[in-house]
Amino acid sequence: MSKEGILIAVEGMDGSGKSTQAKLLYHWLRAKGLPVYHTEWNSSKIVKQATEIGKNERRLLPRTFHLIHAADFADRWAKQIEPVLKIGGIVICDRYKYTAMARDGSRGVPLEMIEKTYSFAREPDLTIYFDVPVDTSYDRIAKGRGALKHYEAGMDMNWSSDPFESYRIFQSKVSEIYAQLVKKGRIMRLDATGTVPEVQKRTRIMFENYIDLSNIFVIDHADRLAENLNQSDIDWLSYKEGVE
Amino acid sequence: MPYPGKLIVIEGADQVGRSLHARLLSARLEAHGIATQTIGLARSKLMGELLKSHTNDIHHLNWRTRALLYATDLHDQIKNDVQPLLNAGFVIISDRYDLTPIIREKVRGGDPEWIKDLYSEIPIPDSVLILHCGPRRLLNRIMFGEKLETLNHFESGMDLALSTSITSSFLKYQKLLRQEFEIVGEESGAVLIPTRGTVENVHDKIWKQIQPIIGKLIQPINNG
Repeated sequence: MSKEGILIAVEGMDGSGKSTQAKLLYHWLRAKGLPVYHTEWNSSKIVKQATEIGKNERRLLPRTFHLIHAADFADRWAKQIEPVLKIGGIVICDRYKYTAMARDGSRGVPLEMIEKTYSFAREPDLTIYFDVPVDTSYDRIAKGRGALKHYEAGMDMNWSSDPFESYRIFQSKVSEIYAQLVKKGRIMRLDATGTVPEVQKRTRIMFENYIDLSNIFVIDHADRLAENLNQSDIDWLSYKEGVE
Repeated sequence: MPYPGKLIVIEGADQVGRSLHARLLSARLEAHGIATQTIGLARSKLMGELLKSHTNDIHHLNWRTRALLYATDLHDQIKNDVQPLLNAGFVIISDRYDLTPIIREKVRGGDPEWIKDLYSEIPIPDSVLILHCGPRRLLNRIMFGEKLETLNHFESGMDLALSTSITSSFLKYQKLLRQEFEIVGEESGAVLIPTRGTVENVHDKIWKQIQPIIGKLIQPINNG
């Protein structure tokens, strides 16, 4: 497949702040008038229903977990990601195949198998790994919560009978796989400690270092205005014809 | 049969700005003392809900069945609403009329003459304005409007197997529609209005086009 468009992925632990940063990145590029699309892990309408059943009834096993998330991704790949790349647009994926490697891999699915399942998903032009210490992300997610969800905590793996302890074990495994991916140069580590604006500043610097936007067309000014005006009205009393 | 009201049709592809311009035109006419009513496809009491809530099923029907359902829908609006309102002196703005139902079946191999005959007795519009725009520009607007997900299989022409990518298919399909609108436009004396400019710019062109029709009806917003 020829390389078209720009594909950006953000990765990181739960609570690393990557989704917040990915959305800011999206709004920034959109404000530049660029054709940009944002998509999230496990958000395809059709597959989500089945995932919910699997989670609620605790039917999901590492292998079916792996396949069902791949189905979700394949649906979004076909409907959202590839179509935008195909026309030379920018896609920001909040979690990409590295999440499958980290999570499914932690659950014992062989990495080669995960790579093969996701072989249709090309390497992004930039994958930013929002790195925070395991303790920080643990605090952000687990602190003050009465309970963790069964699969979120990795309770399906019987690592521990205490959900919080299980979650910590799970996240350490996830963090370990991410660290290997960083070492192999598959994902780029970004220090995600600090305030949201601080991290966004670093994010933009990394983005500009790796991504060349000069070949991406800017959406025509009139078309952007037309979209903005779609829901609004005109004041006919003061309206003057032929004034741009 | 002549009637005191007027019928203005705004045609064109999805996302070209038809509904926006129909709304602006209606608002401006009302501000100038002209009663308007907007009609369009899949808006009849009889068929509207059916057509909107079963879009997928309808897209899978044979073209003849689909053409008949849409013809029923438009006729229900015309017979029950449009004709009495035209007789009362309303300006009817039709957000698409008979062209779209003919063209989109024609590009799928349907017989345009057969469909035209279904519409042979509908009121003849006083003005047909076709909003026009390059496919790529349409797609840019969809992207910037964060509406990519609303691109559906049928409206992207995926059933014509033009491409497996929905955006590429959309571009090819819209190109076909655009050519058809140009041909039909020329045949029927419709006016093609390019939508490259600003919304105000496009609105001005529409307003100018309909002056011969509504000029006499207009009342000023400010007296004196």
